[in-house]
Amino acid sequence: MSQHDNRNESDGALINRREFIKKTAVGVGVAAAAMAMPGFILGKAGAVDVTDLPMKYKDYNVVFVSFDALQAAHVGALGYPGNVTPTIDAMAKQGFNFTNNISVASWTVPASMTWFTGVYPSEHRLTNKFSVFNPPNNNVISNLKKLSPELVTLAEVLKQNGYATGGFTGNAGVSGGFGYSQGFDEYFFEKGKFGSMGVSIPKGLEWLHKNKDKKFFMFLHGYDMHGQNIPVEGFDYRFVDKGYDKRYTGSAAEQEALREEGLEKGTVALRDEDVKFWRAIYDEKIQRTDARFKKFLEEYEKMGLMDKTIFVLTSDHGTEFHEHKRFDHGFSLYDELIHVPLIIKLPKQKTGKVIKDQISSIDVMPTVLDLLDVKMPDNAKKQLRGASLVVGLKGKDVAKDVFFETDYRQYTYKRGIQTKDGWKLIYTLENKSRELYNLKSDPHETKNLVEQEPRRAYELEQRVFAHFKAIGHDLNSRQWIPGLNPVYDSQAKGVQKK
Amino acid sequence: MMRRQRSCFVHMFNAASAALFILITCAVENIGAAEVPAVPPARHENTNVIMISLDILRPDHLGAYGYPKGTSPQIDRLAKQSVLFENSIAQSYLTPVAHMSVITGQYPRQHGMVSFEVTRDQVAKRTLPEILKYYGYETAAVASSPEFFMRYDTESGKIVNPKDIFSRSFDFYGRTMPDETGSTRVNPVAALNWLKANKDKKFFLWIESGMLHPPFSQTVPAPYKTRFDPPGYTPFYERFPIRLGRDNTDRGVPTEALFHVYRGDYYLDFEPIYHLEQRDVDFIRGRYDAGVFYTDMFIGELLNTLDALKLTGKTLVIFHSIHGESLGEHGYFFHHDVYDTEVKTALMFRFPDSNKAGVRIARQTQGIDILPTVLDYLQIPANHEAQGASMMPLINGDEAGYTGSEYAFIDRLPWWEYVLGGWHLEHQSEREAQYTPLEIGKMKDYRALLQEKIGGGQYPPQCIAIRTNQWKLILRERSALLEQISWWNFISGRKFPVAQVELFDLSRDPLEQKNVAGEHPQVVEKLKAKLLEWDENNRKNQALAKPASGPALIIPYP
Repeated sequence: MSQHDNRNESDGALINRREFIKKTAVGVGVAAAAMAMPGFILGKAGAVDVTDLPMKYKDYNVVFVSFDALQAAHVGALGYPGNVTPTIDAMAKQGFNFTNNISVASWTVPASMTWFTGVYPSEHRLTNKFSVFNPPNNNVISNLKKLSPELVTLAEVLKQNGYATGGFTGNAGVSGGFGYSQGFDEYFFEKGKFGSMGVSIPKGLEWLHKNKDKKFFMFLHGYDMHGQNIPVEGFDYRFVDKGYDKRYTGSAAEQEALREEGLEKGTVALRDEDVKFWRAIYDEKIQRTDARFKKFLEEYEKMGLMDKTIFVLTSDHGTEFHEHKRFDHGFSLYDELIHVPLIIKLPKQKTGKVIKDQISSIDVMPTVLDLLDVKMPDNAKKQLRGASLVVGLKGKDVAKDVFFETDYRQYTYKRGIQTKDGWKLIYTLENKSRELYNLKSDPHETKNLVEQEPRRAYELEQRVFAHFKAIGHDLNSRQWIPGLNPVYDSQAKGVQKK
Repeated sequence: MMRRQRSCFVHMFNAASAALFILITCAVENIGAAEVPAVPPARHENTNVIMISLDILRPDHLGAYGYPKGTSPQIDRLAKQSVLFENSIAQSYLTPVAHMSVITGQYPRQHGMVSFEVTRDQVAKRTLPEILKYYGYETAAVASSPEFFMRYDTESGKIVNPKDIFSRSFDFYGRTMPDETGSTRVNPVAALNWLKANKDKKFFLWIESGMLHPPFSQTVPAPYKTRFDPPGYTPFYERFPIRLGRDNTDRGVPTEALFHVYRGDYYLDFEPIYHLEQRDVDFIRGRYDAGVFYTDMFIGELLNTLDALKLTGKTLVIFHSIHGESLGEHGYFFHHDVYDTEVKTALMFRFPDSNKAGVRIARQTQGIDILPTVLDYLQIPANHEAQGASMMPLINGDEAGYTGSEYAFIDRLPWWEYVLGGWHLEHQSEREAQYTPLEIGKMKDYRALLQEKIGGGQYPPQCIAIRTNQWKLILRERSALLEQISWWNFISGRKFPVAQVELFDLSRDPLEQKNVAGEHPQVVEKLKAKLLEWDENNRKNQALAKPASGPALIIPYP
């Protein structure tokens, strides 16, 4: 096991989300868990305030923030003991903190488009950088308008309802080239970059100053926590052990090399101290990002917009630090990759609520539209696969079984289900292999129970295939041939650059 | 509801310290449960399943399907208690290939059992017994066709009985012992003993019999063996023996004698030496019928055993034939092609509550529909890999609710010539098969031709058929090659042509005697398009006919 886990055991404060669920599920555990996590406010007083909220916010603003690659386990409000996300935690404390939000995919391109279309990646079809990859000449970049012209985006719906729409991003996976700009009046992305919020926030604030008197929808995104982004001022290694032998420095090139090594060999050889180092680097990135976001909120407050705005804070996917012997993200569907934060703070909301129900990132778009009480075009209404979580904000049980997928660079084709009672099946299409985990007893997904639980595995497999068939993607109707397409320009030898 | 309460008790025992909390929860749950009507247990909780698979059984030789000779009083009794399918079509004309389609619900190209020399890893694992095991069924089998348990090890040259493709999901995998004629193709009576010993378990029992396989009537004892013989008849092959000096014990109609007959002539040393008379044909068919009659006696014993053990009311019985047999209608006596004689099968479901007893369903269905039907009945989720559809809507009178194809698709896969070249010619013929010295001499060249043309683990494409209850279209893309490598052309020394396209009007010509492709070009065109579409869609998972390298375990056949 990694150093990280040892640290958990020694300080005893970090509560894995599954362990958290277990504790809270037994009545007496709730209070203990709440006390263990200072970020959480529970109890009767909070509940009363929450139920007083109107839950209808016609013509209010929305600020939708994606902290790209933020693993749930590294967020204070989700139980991380290090104080690396004080700003996010504070907002969680005031808002609705969904502690079991599962993303539909484990990397940016497919996962983020689901927020904006409300359909699964298989349906919006932004499942890879290239919709056609046939080097050297016949490569076609994925683009929403070309792949799924019938889909309406969140920005389009809001624009139709009179909203000013602005997106300020770090490019790459949410580049306008993929069609992420669809529906935005202004969409910022710097070509060739895994850009920081250090750049996208000022751009966004500039736009806000021009639009603050209108009702607006703002998408704010940055790669600050992602392996391919390095702080412009460099690392100060604030969380790195003094004695670390500096085998790694935390560079983007190292991260990329580790990922590629893992893809090639199936595992990466890392020492415990290296894993600890990479987590320390990650913490530094997270803390720096949180500070940038804090500054954004300060500026935002100065504009007097706080009480007119719904905040949605989330992440598209997590990242792997050797939990399953590999590095980075995209190629698998383990908890460290698909369990992400989701915080919704409503205007004037002062007391928060923890919602433990398992939900999916596919529910985000219907929730935002429901809160804003906008007129929905018929085609948009029909396309949404998820469900509004507003009833969950009001206290109803919204827990559900969730589905996820990745076709990462056509290196692998995985589909999965996670039931609300804690079972998870990952099906790998190219070799028909299956992984079944009991998340309650094995939150780190180390023990594949396919042989021990053949009936459960069989039934969950049927559910996965039935789900995809029901959304028009019969997984048996095509062949799944693995390859390894480039995703970064640096890998795209012989491939036309974007 | 009962289960809910039980689980509450478990909670209380395990968490006595939090008793108050638990009690509240239980109270709430019970209120909820009282409002919701109790859900009866799923059928798989209390229904046994017996699958009776008879190899080589032609439905039109059973009374229940209209045969007048009294071959099947017991099966007819079963039919009266069952839902009977009048037009059930097997996916292939060869035993392991067709049966794998039944127990996986997949076309042969998908399940991978595409030859007699595939390895176990090449074939789909998720079969009916495998799925039932997931649901707590004790799985047992008694099989008598060597295709299901015998393999020839090309390395050691020995016959082995591996834990293999068909046996791997069974807790008990019984096979019949050879009788005094040396054949295992006897009635699988050991199944009755298994039933008696395991009647209180929830079980899946597969009872398979290869009794009907040539040599016809080999293991049928007197007096039943000669029951349907023409009076005073002496077999033509005894009058014109293939090899002189062999003992003349009646071991049924020898396979090799059948292999010397084509289109009415009996060939030896590549010359027609005798033209078969009706009596000869009647004799061969009579010996086949003797096998049906003796099999039927076993089915009667089985039904009586189920009644005696009080299992009838809690057991789903599936009765089917794996494939049929040509009895001279197309010039040969064997299963060799995709004609209705070979691919039309008997199929009945006897439900525990005698529901729908006596119902007969004319709608065409396929072998791949059997697995989805059984799972549907047992209330087990359908396996997404299955390509067939549940027939329960048909059984329940909802024809529109049946989602199966209106077409049946049949694959001549592997080519019969491929199977023949794989073991029969290479091994069997060198031992005690009945061929003349001249034939054995030329057989080496024939074997070399097969190796050259269709060997190497590949199988030639497109010898495929599509069927409706009115039409049958057979496409042989490589008809010239088929003609070149035909066994019948080899053994006769002649050149019988092979048609590339055959169309039969089954409503007028159920035995497919007259090719009417020329008269119905539009029908040909339409069916061909459907067939090629199926062929295209089912190409993707084509499996190799044998392992890429290394020694093989070949099913010793025929």
